[in-house]
Amino acid sequence: MSEVSAATRAELSKILTLPGAWIATGVVLALHVLVQIPPAGLLADAVANITSDGVIEIFTGQPQPAAEAILGLCTGASLQMGLFLPVLASVIAGQEFRSRQLGLTVLAMPRTVPLLVAKLLATALYVSVVAILIAGISAAFTYVAVKDWNPGLLVTGEAFLGHGRFVAFAVLFCLTAFAVTLTVRGTLTGVVVTVVLITVTMTQVLAGIAPEVDALFPLSAARNLMLDPGVNDLTAGRTHGLLVLTGWAAATSVAAGVTLGVREAR
Amino acid sequence: MSPFGGRGPAPRRRRLGTFVQSEGSGCAVIEINGLSKHYRNRKAVDDVTFTARPGRVTAFLGPNGAGKSSTLRVLLGLDAATGGRALIGGRRYRDLRYPLRTVGALLDGAGPVPERRAIDHLSWIARSNRIPRERVREVLDLVGLADAARHRVKNYSLGMRQRLGIAGALLGEPEVLVLDEPVNGLDPDGIRWVRDLLREHAALGRTVLLSSHLMKETADTADDVVIINRGRIVVRGTLAEVTAGHASLEAAFFALTGDRSGAHR
Repeated sequence: MSEVSAATRAELSKILTLPGAWIATGVVLALHVLVQIPPAGLLADAVANITSDGVIEIFTGQPQPAAEAILGLCTGASLQMGLFLPVLASVIAGQEFRSRQLGLTVLAMPRTVPLLVAKLLATALYVSVVAILIAGISAAFTYVAVKDWNPGLLVTGEAFLGHGRFVAFAVLFCLTAFAVTLTVRGTLTGVVVTVVLITVTMTQVLAGIAPEVDALFPLSAARNLMLDPGVNDLTAGRTHGLLVLTGWAAATSVAAGVTLGVREAR
Repeated sequence: MSPFGGRGPAPRRRRLGTFVQSEGSGCAVIEINGLSKHYRNRKAVDDVTFTARPGRVTAFLGPNGAGKSSTLRVLLGLDAATGGRALIGGRRYRDLRYPLRTVGALLDGAGPVPERRAIDHLSWIARSNRIPRERVREVLDLVGLADAARHRVKNYSLGMRQRLGIAGALLGEPEVLVLDEPVNGLDPDGIRWVRDLLREHAALGRTVLLSSHLMKETADTADDVVIINRGRIVVRGTLAEVTAGHASLEAAFFALTGDRSGAHR
């Protein structure tokens, strides 16, 4: 266990001293702030017009229960930015293939399983911190809009559950992208594979003709996990979404482990 | 510009310190026995057998593409052997728990991410094997990179990168050194420093295996010589045995390999 612990600390060091990881993190967080600014005023206006029986009309002609709608909007904002996190994961994984650093890594940590576990743990830890920051930014903007109506809304159990689901999605999806990048041995290829997976859901083609298949793709699973089924057209339930995301992370991690163990460290 | 092959002061000459917490038996022999490595239909290494003993510098010589790096990569667990075995102190490299405390290695071609600072690069390596952080400063000082420790590796000269690689090999105060072309990129003063370092290491009873295609530098450093050509060992023995009947190691090398194209003075 101490071997894994030392290896995890080493992998975390690598992430924290990698300029590319800091740049990707900074870009994602800055982008999230920028994206949150324009709709903040619109949400504040909608909150100001919440009816006495707690109904809000965020989208014209679509009255909804205010608390659920606002929390859904907050979670959705995080989910939207979470789509960029796999790039960060690919940058972290892809460093091994620059200047053939993988050879040095395997020299320092020659056993495949402890090395892979350490890599996954370190990446999960770093990504979870970034995901918490994203959720925090979403919550801060939401708070500004709701503070005069219901300042306690964002510290309810449902609010924390929403953030928890987002962090779970972010970590599992990033581990998938990380493992894919290790398997294909290149940052760009890893990003491309992840983008393809995201595109399948974004086009909504599969959702229309084969929703059961669509539900097996990671972004669809994220939507199923995080979004309110009363407002959104989803292809499966929350538990199904969580299991699918876990399955992707597990399957791709096994593939990465096999690749690390079988292929030569170059 | 340092006379050592880059900016910054020349490396310090000082004792290497004592063995710490290594997993070796105190008799860390490198044993290569019937080792083969095939890439598709090409035999990069073919039934290679030799031993590198403690207290001696063993030079592993051969032209470019002769199979030196492939042999060392199998020894260090980076490539899988097609056949045979390669052991350090009776164990496979990958079976060593904190391997860098037993074996220090320099790989030709493998290096740090260019944007990372040298001190950060060595720090993650140290952490991975529970090597005290102070040791990072010590080895940077030892190889003359203390003043450039916080510079990004992309700003290093070839000689400085080579020194950084040697610093990484020395981090765990290992009883075995495996160095693939350690003097590449170094200027004459740097080459002399490496020679002194390896001699000092051997004098402390440690095992040194270095690959090279530079004959003159090797002749000044090695106790034992193993020459490989086209994947097969053509001769092994002490320096005196290998050079017997030849004017120099270089002459012996050319006579034994029958190929002038790959070797350099």
